[in-house]
Amino acid sequence: MSTPLLQILDVTAGFGATTVLHGVSIDVPEGSIAGIFGLNGAGKSVTLKTVAGVVPARSGQVLLDGEDITRWGPEKRVARGMGHIPQGRQVFPELTVEENLRLGAYTLRRRDRSRYAASLDAVYDRFPVLRERRSQLAGTMSGGQQASLCVGRALINQPRLVLVDEPSAGLSPVAALELREVLRDVAATGVTMVLVEQNIAFGLSLVDTAHLMQTGTVVHSSPVGDLDDATLATHLGIGSVLGAATSRMLSSRATPEPPKKGKPRVRRTA
Amino acid sequence: MGQVLVFGLISGGIYGLFALGVVMVFRGTGVLSFAQGEIGTAALYVAAYLINDQGLPWVVGALGALVFGIGVGVLFELLVVRRMIGADPVSTAVATVGLLLLITTIEIQYAGSTLISVRGPISQHFAVFGVEVTGTQVLGVLLALALGFGLQSLLRRTDFGLGILAAAQDPTAVRLVGVPLSRVSATVWGAGAALSVIAALLVEPGIGVFAPGFASQLYLVGLAAAVIGGLTSLPGAVIGGLALGLVEAAANKWFGQSGVHGLRYVVVLIVLLVVLVGRQLLPELRARFDTRAEAVA
Repeated sequence: MSTPLLQILDVTAGFGATTVLHGVSIDVPEGSIAGIFGLNGAGKSVTLKTVAGVVPARSGQVLLDGEDITRWGPEKRVARGMGHIPQGRQVFPELTVEENLRLGAYTLRRRDRSRYAASLDAVYDRFPVLRERRSQLAGTMSGGQQASLCVGRALINQPRLVLVDEPSAGLSPVAALELREVLRDVAATGVTMVLVEQNIAFGLSLVDTAHLMQTGTVVHSSPVGDLDDATLATHLGIGSVLGAATSRMLSSRATPEPPKKGKPRVRRTA
Repeated sequence: MGQVLVFGLISGGIYGLFALGVVMVFRGTGVLSFAQGEIGTAALYVAAYLINDQGLPWVVGALGALVFGIGVGVLFELLVVRRMIGADPVSTAVATVGLLLLITTIEIQYAGSTLISVRGPISQHFAVFGVEVTGTQVLGVLLALALGFGLQSLLRRTDFGLGILAAAQDPTAVRLVGVPLSRVSATVWGAGAALSVIAALLVEPGIGVFAPGFASQLYLVGLAAAVIGGLTSLPGAVIGGLALGLVEAAANKWFGQSGVHGLRYVVVLIVLLVVLVGRQLLPELRARFDTRAEAVA
């Protein structure tokens, strides 16, 4: 088996006197979508920030394609093929759509400026609305359009690994479903993704492997098809209602594997 | 009236240049710097040394001053600001007060109370509205206007400039698209210092002499001008500077004989209060007006 594109090895991290991550380990094979799920404060966002290089790891390692990037700044990681779709559609509101994309291609343009035009065209082909609104200030677009711009800004740099933080947050249900299709399309082109999502049903319908986190550690990792309601209920402390919804979402996935009908156990987790 | 306009624009242009430096640093790093003005004074000593003592041409002296000023700005960023990334911007602002005190102390050690003067780049005189002005003074106004209204589009032309503009909106997001934030930070601190040096070089010949603390007094007005302009707008900074210059000139004309010391600061304080309070009250007044209009309809 080839080396996973991203390896998080026994990482601890935190802020000030607080340690949030206590030895997190996750492998993400190339071309797959990994989902990190957990309740508020479980450490999923901090895990993503540690991979991004925004929060430094105190111990452990982060490997990108086998190379130790633990001590690298975010900028260098981006130059090596990491892309970001940040939470809350963080476009640069006072720059135009095209300026946002140009900034997204910052390291691509430094590496090889001749590839920029084609990459910009590819983004415009994927999101025609961005081409129409190329001169508009990004902050004046609708939420769904800003979400498209965020995805386009990440893709234009031709990343190998994209970190997606809470994609469904703050979007209308229709816009969220559209975004899910876009992310699926992107994944189908071979881009590897790590996704953090509060909305379990939305997240599970998108990812290949699920990593469930509790109080700063990964308590369960498995292909999403192997997840059952009982596991979700045990580790995320959510009851059978959401579990049933999740089962329906799972069965609507392209993968025909039927979800196991586990008897949901409602157990309070600390 | 013509006199008020000419004097107002001349000092307003200088305030505008200082204010542009304030805005550059604030946009790029979210910090209000109190030290930049004094970097301008220190650079004047360098210019005086090169031009007066070494007999070098003005351009060489000015370039020396500029390199010195940028050096101090960038060095402060490297040694202090960068180590305070993630700290409250107020703490970094307090650190700039430390730099201000350090520079002033060194100036006092070096020059004491000796008054020094540096000539300007253009000594020709013109008469504008019956007021004698020098080419140097006109240059200050033109430069402030050109930078205030042109710098933004100049920055938009390059990817790195775009990164500087974006850093003000969201520093973390800028790092996540791959723009080196540390270089953005060093650049804006260097640019802020450079703007102060330029302002100091252009204003000093009109006043005639300088001493420790000289440019800080004018920089304080620039700080107010930047606040009036909204702190993030480059054109706003220059407009704020010109407005303060004009009000100050008017106050000087009508109240100058009253013997009030520090009239400049009284004027700045009043304008600042009016603008800030007005900014608070305006939305409320507008809302009240709207509801009344709706009630009538």
